Amino acid sequence: MNRLTIPQELARQQIELTTRRHFLRDCTTGLGAAWLASQTMGDRVLASENAVSAITHSARVKSVIYLHMVGAPSQLDLFEYRPELVKYDGKDCPQKYLEGRRFAFIQGTPQLLGPQFPFKQHGQCGAWMSDRLPHLAKHVDDLCFIRTMETDQFNHGPAELMVHTGQARMGYPSIGAWTTWGLGNANENLPGFIVLLSGGRSPRAGNALWGSGFLPSVYQGVQCRSKGDAILNMSNPDNVSREVRRDMLDALASLNQESYETFQDPETLTRISQYEMAYRMQAAMPEVVDISTEPEAIHQLYGSKPGAESFANNCLLARRLVESGVRYIQLFDWGWDSHGADKDEAINGGFSNKCQDIDQPISALLTDLKQRDMLKDTLVVWSGEFGRTPMRENRGGTKMPLVGRDHNPAAFTLWMAGGGVKPGYSYGELDDLGYTAASNPVPLRDFHATLLHMLGMDHSKLSYYYQGLNQKLTGVKPAKVVHDILA
Amino acid sequence: MSKWLRQTLLRSFASLAVMACMLSANAEENMPVETKVRFNEEIRPLLTRHCTACHGGVKQAGDLSFVYAEKAMQVIEPGDPDSSYLLERVLAGDDERMPPAEHGPRLSEKEVELLKRWIKQGANWKAPWAFEKPERAELPPVKNAAWPCQPVDAFILSKIETAGVQPAADEIPLRWLRRAAMDITGLPATTELRETFIKEYVQNPTVAREHAVDALLSSPHFGERWASVWLDQVRYADSMGLGLDGYRSIWKYRDWVIDAFNQDMPYDQFTMKQIAGDLLPDATIDDQIATAVHRLTQSNEEGGTDDEEFRIAAVLDRVSTTWQAWQGITFGCVQCHSHPYDPIKHEEFYQFTAFFNNTVDMDLNEDWPTLKVPVNPADHEQATELWKKLTSKKQELWNKQFATSVTNPAWKSLRLDEVASSTATQINIDRKEDHDEFYTSGTLVRDTDITLTSKLPVDMTSLTAVRLTVLPLDPVKAVSDSEWGFVLSQMEAYLNTPEDDAPLKLDIARVIADEPFPIHNPNDSLNDNAAGFSAYSRINQPRQAAFVLKDVTEIPAGSTITVKLKHRIWILASFALVSRRGHLAVTDDPQVLDVGKAGEFTALEKEIKDLTAQQNKLKSTTVPVLAERQNEFARPSHLFIRGSFLTKGEEVQPGVPESLPPMQVDGKASRLDLAKWIASPENPLTARVAVNRVWAQLFGHGLVATEEDFGSSGELPSHPDLLDDLAVRFQTDLQWSHKALIRELILSSTYRQSSKMRTDLDDAANVLFARGPRQTLSAEMVRDQALAASGLLNRDVHGPPCYPPLAAGVWTPFKASDKWETPPPGDPQRYRRSIYTYVKRSIQYPLFAAFDAPTREFCAPRRLRSNTPLQSLMTLNSESFNECSQALAARMTSSNDHIEEQIHFGFVNVTGRDPKPEEVATLKATYERIREKSNAQLALTSIATILLNLDEIMTR
Repeated sequence: MNRLTIPQELARQQIELTTRRHFLRDCTTGLGAAWLASQTMGDRVLASENAVSAITHSARVKSVIYLHMVGAPSQLDLFEYRPELVKYDGKDCPQKYLEGRRFAFIQGTPQLLGPQFPFKQHGQCGAWMSDRLPHLAKHVDDLCFIRTMETDQFNHGPAELMVHTGQARMGYPSIGAWTTWGLGNANENLPGFIVLLSGGRSPRAGNALWGSGFLPSVYQGVQCRSKGDAILNMSNPDNVSREVRRDMLDALASLNQESYETFQDPETLTRISQYEMAYRMQAAMPEVVDISTEPEAIHQLYGSKPGAESFANNCLLARRLVESGVRYIQLFDWGWDSHGADKDEAINGGFSNKCQDIDQPISALLTDLKQRDMLKDTLVVWSGEFGRTPMRENRGGTKMPLVGRDHNPAAFTLWMAGGGVKPGYSYGELDDLGYTAASNPVPLRDFHATLLHMLGMDHSKLSYYYQGLNQKLTGVKPAKVVHDILA
Repeated sequence: MSKWLRQTLLRSFASLAVMACMLSANAEENMPVETKVRFNEEIRPLLTRHCTACHGGVKQAGDLSFVYAEKAMQVIEPGDPDSSYLLERVLAGDDERMPPAEHGPRLSEKEVELLKRWIKQGANWKAPWAFEKPERAELPPVKNAAWPCQPVDAFILSKIETAGVQPAADEIPLRWLRRAAMDITGLPATTELRETFIKEYVQNPTVAREHAVDALLSSPHFGERWASVWLDQVRYADSMGLGLDGYRSIWKYRDWVIDAFNQDMPYDQFTMKQIAGDLLPDATIDDQIATAVHRLTQSNEEGGTDDEEFRIAAVLDRVSTTWQAWQGITFGCVQCHSHPYDPIKHEEFYQFTAFFNNTVDMDLNEDWPTLKVPVNPADHEQATELWKKLTSKKQELWNKQFATSVTNPAWKSLRLDEVASSTATQINIDRKEDHDEFYTSGTLVRDTDITLTSKLPVDMTSLTAVRLTVLPLDPVKAVSDSEWGFVLSQMEAYLNTPEDDAPLKLDIARVIADEPFPIHNPNDSLNDNAAGFSAYSRINQPRQAAFVLKDVTEIPAGSTITVKLKHRIWILASFALVSRRGHLAVTDDPQVLDVGKAGEFTALEKEIKDLTAQQNKLKSTTVPVLAERQNEFARPSHLFIRGSFLTKGEEVQPGVPESLPPMQVDGKASRLDLAKWIASPENPLTARVAVNRVWAQLFGHGLVATEEDFGSSGELPSHPDLLDDLAVRFQTDLQWSHKALIRELILSSTYRQSSKMRTDLDDAANVLFARGPRQTLSAEMVRDQALAASGLLNRDVHGPPCYPPLAAGVWTPFKASDKWETPPPGDPQRYRRSIYTYVKRSIQYPLFAAFDAPTREFCAPRRLRSNTPLQSLMTLNSESFNECSQALAARMTSSNDHIEEQIHFGFVNVTGRDPKPEEVATLKATYERIREKSNAQLALTSIATILLNLDEIMTR
């Protein structure tokens, strides 16, 4: 087999750096970076060239696990205790809260809806939580709450895109893509950005939530599946053993080497190395995703069951991926759209089941990361795509039989735990009803800026020239890092 | 000094400066040629680099901008560098200098010298290069006069010779053939073509190449290959995007593009039909299908979405896509502010938007308006005839009906005595001077029935029709900010006479509303389905319908009328489409009854019915299309403050940016005028962008490397004379023909060069085109080539989306009704070309995603190419590729009994060339090794897999 020697490899990289830079040079087009996507150096996949300038300081966070509760959970029934809302439960909402607001489903004058579950204070920090997340309540002293997250989208599809791409429309790079584009991956045998789904459905905007947009496709999130191959086409066709595949790749490499000698095209050498990486990935990936090798105690901790599609399994898998050096892990859990239009999602219905599904696994993840001393450089983020209204939904202008709340872009809760954030801390104050920010609103772009900051990057420099604009995760409006929450 | 005075002075100063520019242009001619500074090549990039970030289109610090000449001249004294404030600041000490230290480095000595020289020569200012009309160029002189064989070659050769080298040698003929076949048809050459080519090549290489190119250009696969390039530009997808991403039936447009390329439709027509095919005189069904290009925008069918918000998003995307695809200018940023680098002003964006802002479509999952189109292209002609007849008959009928039943009668407005609601929606009365209006307040509840009771006029003794006028709740504001509309699901009217106890239900024969081509049939207001007279889904002007009785109804003195308006439609699980304001009128004109009775009306109705029946006989599908709103309901366009549709600024009229040639129109410009403007030879961008796109497809990168940006922030053309010459010839000699253009380029000496990297030249990126292109295959080609080489390819052209094999678990559509059903192995539909694969925005076909196909949300002017392990896994392990390997192995087995020959057969089939002996030896040794570990069949399949993964065939 014609493996490249180290000098050959270096020579190849030199060719790439010099040749590609020219065509796609970073004069005004930032495309130069695209081409470095696939090259490896040592044991670290190189970050793209012009993203390097965005790395401005040493990072507290090496990996991110983002837990997205798809559909937008009610912060007013989990984390935000508003005594005033208890008082006004069932009363008509005052007009001042309705003027100039657009709603997805609420019509006319709705009634206010108090918290649907008992709240109490927890931990040293005394954070309020309802009784729906009893396990997580024990971890409040590790959590850093942003209570005043804001978005400008009140429909799920665009709002989910806002959270993950900073834009309300499909076609822009996701946080994970920006992150791996900027920082590369710590394990060259695994993708740097992995997506895990639970809850039985994909989020609305689908792949667009983990797409690479105008960044090269190599930065797309790779969906790791609970059924069949963890990564598509990971296993060889029937009867093709690893030895046979080795023989095939050796022949292929030798023929391709021939092709290189004819055309001297550096892309050919890259292709040879990509086939080798695929071969190594085939060995590495199944090992990483096989949670059955975990001890029973761990399964009990998470409530995980090998072979199932569950949020618990995904939490455990997320920890294993972080351990293996994966940079960005995105979990989506479907089923949090508590309108009260049907039993499965109503606050007095399926909402409690959803809480139960996530409570133990999230606590286990925090416990587990901590006991492995991994929480210090891993960041766990939890959020929906917007919040829910303190008004009860009255879809079609009618009183609905079940209890639900409409979408609220003006305030939602996001919490973080781990490297870089203040533990047991709360940022931002809501108004009395828990409807809008009374102080310190945090638009998504500020959250994005803060997240990138924790990863060692300057959001204003992490940009990619496309369609006449230096495109950024944080968009065109000025964004700022929320320094107050940083440890 | 007053602000006015200061501005006036500034303005006159600016015009003096401009005059000075012009005067000094003459002086400039006396300068030695070699020192003449070229503004667009040397000065504009310098200004863009150092100055425009603060003094540009968006930010104009100190009211100074280097995007607009008149502003820049405030700090430049043409001919006099020493009194130019610009230079003073550039050369100032660190406290004063421009750009300030925190914004960038000091200008280099060379740059300062350049600026000085430019000012001295008269500070000649030019429009950005691409905004100037291209002109023919003289063929440059070359030493190697034998090399050029097409006009483009001399331009290329001249630069190669200037670099002190020679062009590369010709490519090996069969490699050239493979490259040409992949470039023209997206498929490897067939065995027959290859054999003919070899035979002819021995006789006469030039003729052989010409014959091959002509054969390839006349293949129906040409259209498929080039359509995929265009579909990237116009973000073609078979799904709607965003919230639910449901299926959108729009594949007839994709086939229209394929046919347009195959028929070699001139690019100017191709352009006009897509932008305004519906407005062309004598438009055909196909002309209207073309307009579906702008119905490819994403829509959001998610519950609770404001359809005006997403309708506007679609309109803005149409604007951006038109600029990007046709003009090579990024226009999107002008939504919020003036263009940062190019002379396009904020208000000009909205003037341009106005061309697209008056179409009927909205953001609802019905995708209305749609056009019924026969599935079989052979039926299009007949369908056009039927459609034309139907349209004119419907218009004729409506003209008569509306005049007879709405315009002509004398109407008597009613006062309201009682109003009632069946729900919590409150109904109120607004007393106007001569009539009463009802209006709703409070929570608008779905399924509301509104009941209105009025005394009939005392002087009326009979009744023939009732007229309902529905208005927006806020009629003034709604003109620019439309409200949710209404659907009158059912209308009932009762006569209450003093004599009878029970109200008498009036027998209504026809509902005549104010649109000749309504979305809902107004007569549906007479039955119990949900549809009916409507403003769907928005209302911004008053709407009217006459409810014509079957017969004259006598009215006893003292009678009242009760009208019940039932509403049953609420959309997006959220918005109740209820009439929110309106009034009634009545007439006793007996003439109105004609619409339900008279021969001329019923005869027309019968004709329409018969034509519709004929139309229904043609097996059809639907396509969403563009259609203008009728004049009465025209939608005004406004500037959006900071780009948000919620904050509208002044009203704007359709128009094009001033920095481009003016549009020649009388009166208000239409979308058709826009189409003509884009397709006009006066437009400096259209032809340049088009030829550059073709060039980039064939040579790997454009003459303007930033295909998406012909503006000041894009790259300058590497061969400006060639680009301009080709652009002019494309419009003139080549008559906008893609086939002629591609033929010329592929038969050029430039294209024919070997693609081997050059060691004698520091030009690895091939900016000089001093070697042949070597490009990675597109995603579609990767799959189509494997299907072709393995013999599985189904070469059918046209048809609804296809569903090739997809790994389990990938298909998780948000709408369960959206199925992916792959035909079983052996079924030809499984092996259709990639262009026919269902393009779903939220679930991209994994193979295409891995090979860098765009997701088609927005215009994608060029594809990035990556090289990743996931690609290797696709082509080694996916079901599709595995099937190809097996099929190829089977063909290899049946080709010959000897393994060397089998390998040879497979190799030729895949690469289009004979293998070298050592290549056969490597493969044979591998075959033996694998056979020992498993069996002969698996060993041969493995060889087939290796062949289908060769680097050589992953490129073209």
